[in-house]
Formats: sequence, C-alpha cells, structure tokens
Amino acid sequence: MKLNKTVRQLSLFAAIAFGTTLPTGCKVEIQSRAEDVHLQVWTMWNGQEEKNILAVFARYHELHPNIFIENHGGLLDDTKTIRAIVANVPPDLCTLTDPLVLGPLAANNALLPLDDLLNTETYKESDFVPASLKQCRFKGRLYAMPYLIDCTALFWNKKLFKEAGLDPERPPSTMEELQQYAKKLTKVENNEIAILGLQPLTDVMPILCVFGGRLTDPSEKNVTVNSEKMTEGMSWYLETVKAMGGYEKVNAFSSGFGQAQSANNPFFVGKVAMMVSGEWIPFWTTKYSSNLDYGVAALPPPANHPERTGTTWLGGNMFAIPRASKHVKEAKEILIWMQSEEAQTLLAKLNNNVPNQLSVLGSPELRQGEPYKKKFSVFLDLAKSKNAEYFPAIPVSGLLNGELLNARDVVLNLEKSPKQALNDTQARVQRELGRYP
Amino acid sequence: MIRPTKNSVTTRRDLLAGYGFISPWLIGFLILTLYPICASLYYSFCDYRVLSPPHWVGLRNYTELFTDKDYFLPSLWNTMFMFLELPIALALSVGIALLLNQKLKGMVFFRTLCYLPSVVPTVASAILWLWLLNPEYGLVNATLKMLHIPTTSWLQSPIWAKPAFIILDLWAVGGGIVIYLAALQGVPQHLYEAADLDGAGPWRKTWNITLPAISPVIFFNAILGIIATFQYFTQTFLLTNGGPANSTLFYALFLYQNAFQYFRMGYASAMAWVLFAITALATVIVFKSSARLVYYEGGDN
Repeated sequence: MKLNKTVRQLSLFAAIAFGTTLPTGCKVEIQSRAEDVHLQVWTMWNGQEEKNILAVFARYHELHPNIFIENHGGLLDDTKTIRAIVANVPPDLCTLTDPLVLGPLAANNALLPLDDLLNTETYKESDFVPASLKQCRFKGRLYAMPYLIDCTALFWNKKLFKEAGLDPERPPSTMEELQQYAKKLTKVENNEIAILGLQPLTDVMPILCVFGGRLTDPSEKNVTVNSEKMTEGMSWYLETVKAMGGYEKVNAFSSGFGQAQSANNPFFVGKVAMMVSGEWIPFWTTKYSSNLDYGVAALPPPANHPERTGTTWLGGNMFAIPRASKHVKEAKEILIWMQSEEAQTLLAKLNNNVPNQLSVLGSPELRQGEPYKKKFSVFLDLAKSKNAEYFPAIPVSGLLNGELLNARDVVLNLEKSPKQALNDTQARVQRELGRYP
Repeated sequence: MIRPTKNSVTTRRDLLAGYGFISPWLIGFLILTLYPICASLYYSFCDYRVLSPPHWVGLRNYTELFTDKDYFLPSLWNTMFMFLELPIALALSVGIALLLNQKLKGMVFFRTLCYLPSVVPTVASAILWLWLLNPEYGLVNATLKMLHIPTTSWLQSPIWAKPAFIILDLWAVGGGIVIYLAALQGVPQHLYEAADLDGAGPWRKTWNITLPAISPVIFFNAILGIIATFQYFTQTFLLTNGGPANSTLFYALFLYQNAFQYFRMGYASAMAWVLFAITALATVIVFKSSARLVYYEGGDN
C-alpha cells in the first residue's frame, strides 16, 4: 500500500537521522570531565558590553579551568527569569536587569540569601560602598551582590554657559541657582525652544534625593513618598519645567532628541545645556563628541540644606542566585571573585562603570591615563559620598516607581499639586505594601 | 439496508478518527487556552504575585478596581475615546472600496496601493509614525507649517495623543477595504439592472442596493472593530507607554502593567474579566440594536 511505503520511508529517514546524531552526542560526553561544571548564567548585556562581560568570564575560566560559564546575554526582560524561576528551571546565576525586581523576588522567597559571602576572611561589609549593598538587602538580608555601580551627577556645556553669560567654570552652587540657570540657558526662537536649559529627567529620584527625599522609612515597612522633602523636590522640578516653557513644550522639544548612546545625544549636540546623567558619559564623549567642552560635578544642595552636598543617586549591576540554582557553590565563588580588585578593575575599565569595592575606587588605573578619566574620577569620588542614595528593595518597588513617574507627569501637566499627587501615590503604594507580611 | 449496529460502529470509528486527527489542536486548546481562562477567573478572586501561590481574597480586586478613580476609569475613558475611530474607519474604507470597485483601467494598481500599508507590520508602522508625528522634525508638522495651519506636539500632547493614534490606525484601513471590495463584487448585478430600468441614479443605487447588500460585512467589521478597540495595546505600548500624563493609558496597557510590571496578577485577572464582560455587553447591544439594519439575502426581512 502507498501509505505503508511512505511510513516505511519516513521511519528509515528517522532512523538515519537519529543514528547520525548519536556519535556527536557521545563526543561531548567523552570531552567532559567529572570535575567540570557548566554554569548557566543569564546576563543583561548586549553588543559591546556583552563582549566585555564575556571577557570577564573568560578570565574566570582561565583561573578556574573546570568552570565553564555558559552566558545567555541580552536578557532585557526580567520576566523571562521570573518565568524560569516559577517553572523551577532557573539559571544558576543571573543579573537583575531592572533592580526593581529584587524586592518582589526576595519577598517571594525566590532567591538565595547571600549573607554568608560577607563577614568572611575575604570580604567584610565595610569593604563595600555602603549604598551598593543596601540596595541589595531585603528585610536586612542580602539577596544580590553588586558588581559595579552607577552614580549620577550634573553635566554642563561650557560653550552654552558662555553664550548665556554664565561663568563656564562654575556650576550652580545651589538647587535654586540651578533652576535660574535652567531658565537662563533655555533659548526660545520663534516661540519654540531651540536650546533647553536642563534635560528632562527620565527618573526623578536623582533630583528628589538632593532635597533629602527618601522612598521609605529606615524599616522599609512604610513608604514616605509624600514627605515634606519629596514634595519640596517635586515642586522644584515643576517650577523648573515651567521656567523652561512648560510640560508640553519641553516634551515636544525632547521628542526630537536622538539616542543617548550616539553622536545625536542632545547634550553632545548642544540641544540641552545641562543634564543629570551617569559615569558612562565621559567615555561616550570620546567616542561621539570629542570636541565637546563640558564640566561635571555633583548636583548642588538646596540653599538651606548645605549638608546635602555631594548627593548622588546610586544604582548598578546586581547578580543573584535563584533558590533552585543547581550550582550554588560555584555561583557563590564567582560572586566572591567579582569583588576582587582584578575583577572590579577589569569590568570597570571595559564598561566604564564605578567599582563597588571602596579600596578599588582609588585605583590609579581607573583615574589616570586618557583625558576623560579626570571627569570619570568625579564619579569614583561621589560613590564614597555619605549622601549616596538608592532605591530600597521592597516587595512593591515596581509599583512605587511606576506611581512616582506617573505622579511626576500629573504634576507637570498641572492636573494635581505636588502634595496631592504624592499623597495619592503614598496611599496606593502603602496599601499594597501593607498586604505583605 | 445497513444494519444499525454496523452503522454505529462505523460512526464511532469515524468519530474517534476525527477526534484523533484534531487532537493536537484539541489538547493545545484545553491546556493552553481553556485552562488559563478558567485559572484567570480563579486568580481574579485571589492575591496572586506570580512567584508565590495565590490566596483567596474574595471580591477585593473587583471592589478596588471599581473604586479606582485615578486609573481604572481614565483608562476606560481613554479606550472609549478610540471608538471615534470606528465610524471614521468605516466610512473611509467603504468609501474607498466603492471607488476601487469602479471598472476603470489600472484599478489593480490603486487597489494594491490602498492595501499596501496593511502589509507593513504594526510595530514597523508604529515606529514610522513616531517619526512622521515628531513635533520637531516630523513630516506631518512640516506639512502643516507649510500650509500655515497651527501644529501640535501630537504624541507628546495630552490632548492630541489619542487623535494621533486614530490617525495612525486609519493609515492601515486597507485591510477593511479588501473585505468590502470582496463584498461589493458579490452584489447581484440584476438588482442594478432593475434599478437602471426604474431610472435610479448612482446615489440612489448606492444607498438602496449596495449598502444594504454589503451590510452583513459592515456589521461583521463593526463587531471586530469594537473588540479590537477594547484590546488596544501595541501602538501605545510601543510609542507612549501610557503617557503623556496617562492620556494614552488604555485599559489593556494598564492591565499589562499590573500583571507584568507590578506583579499584581490577581488584580490584572479581575481587569481581564471585567473587560470581557464589557466587550460581551457591547457586542450584545450592537447585535440587538443593529440586527434589523442588516440585510441577509434569503432572510425574512
């Protein structure tokens, strides 16, 4: 019968296909040795940065030839990791692309506590930039390990300062002055913005924390979004945007901005005179805008709070071990190695991020050499600041961040007063937080 | 005559074979569609954070949803606003289909031209429109300026963002046109011939013959449009993410945020069921109210 013939042919084909795959499968088995460990690591980096982290892993393999790190890069969506955790097939080690997922993951017992990595002979708590560890703690326990951090500071375009009649060598010394500068530097032509004094903030916390605003109380059981200081900060931002032409105009102008990591970065092309950004900018200028004459310094304190001098908003790369990781011991060993001077300096040089080990912040290798490193050093110093603030890991951090950004928009669009908007945010986030034990 | 027993055996065998052949779909449907639907109904009565097992909270998610004046109602209102698009899209696609149905030389070219935008994937066309509507460099504002018409900041303006989405969607109206065109070709010629004999003009013929004849297709497209509007998501997720100031926070986007960004899967499930109820209700209303306007050949009216 015709059908039977087809079936026979198909099974013959299947047998051949199966037979040919067998030898290759065995080959891998033969090569692999008993002491070899293949570690599944999921990381967020892509492009050049992925190559950089691969170089770091390659170095680790050189030091530990039996550890094979299988990197799955470009993980831009943490829900993929979360799904793998829920399905009980997580990676052995992973980065948290959005640090805001640490709280929910830790609160739901999905990650392994890492407290035993500290207070050993190798590393003590006091070796770390304090905020870099604090942002990895949930209810006092450590659930992630930092491997390099980010800090924010104020950048200003010296040429545009000169054109506006400002001293190009002196950044604003108070937040009040920063607001005046933002207004003065904003240039309007034919009723349209041509240059914006201060680039609008994608994240408002770097500004709010300068006013002393904090997202939670020290117990991290209560959010404090509607505190006086937060309101003061939000009002400052509202007035600044108003001074530059108002929400809609500023928004419309910003929509024409090019990508940050390109030669079209609005700061590089002189479309914005000042911006709040991070430690990667000095290196980027060498790539995209080598003639740019600019300065960088910490955001100034408000006039009546000089103690807020040197405030910076700290974030960074977090590595975590899912509870169901199959190679806990090896994963922990990598995390410890990442704190070594060699590993910290290696990635800091490749990615131009700030080390989270205090002892490495002074490293001449990071501070000397190419001209841009002088400006990069500003961030190395800022990391040590006692006013380095961070996003606390709470179970509802995603909601808190979303609500806060929404409050910003509603305030700028003049739908609610800063006080009202932050009160509403407080009520909603606190209600949700109260549901966690 | 075939004996009853033999008949039933054959029938049963056919039945089994039939189920056997559709079993890949059937199993997929049961596991990947029916089970999640049922589970989401259960979750909607739970506090469920994905990473830990759900626990029962009764109607809390629903009461919270209906008392949320900052997000639930605005997101529903934003979604309702998009219904303005339906009559415009309908008039536009029927109108263009009528024009494309003329027997003129080179019509194939124009038909292709009208359908072309629908071939472009939603994501690509959304990104394209992001540039066209750019307040600074966009072609739309440049053209308006040339004509001395006041410009706006479109997707960056809380007032104009939703109309901008409507414009963006109307661009891809070609999908509807093709369906109407097919319907128009099916209108019986003898009706037109009879009308010609009675001395009817083109308007009369369109109004009294063409539109009633294609009314089932219009109705079908309207129902699909209603459902699609309630699920409006991709464009806003890509271009505005709900902004500026929540003016494009559509219901489905708010649902997504709760489920996948805030880990409030119970709340999001409740939202989904409320959306299902609203969509079903709207569809029933449309069915009840417009069924008598729809003409079916061979039907009673």
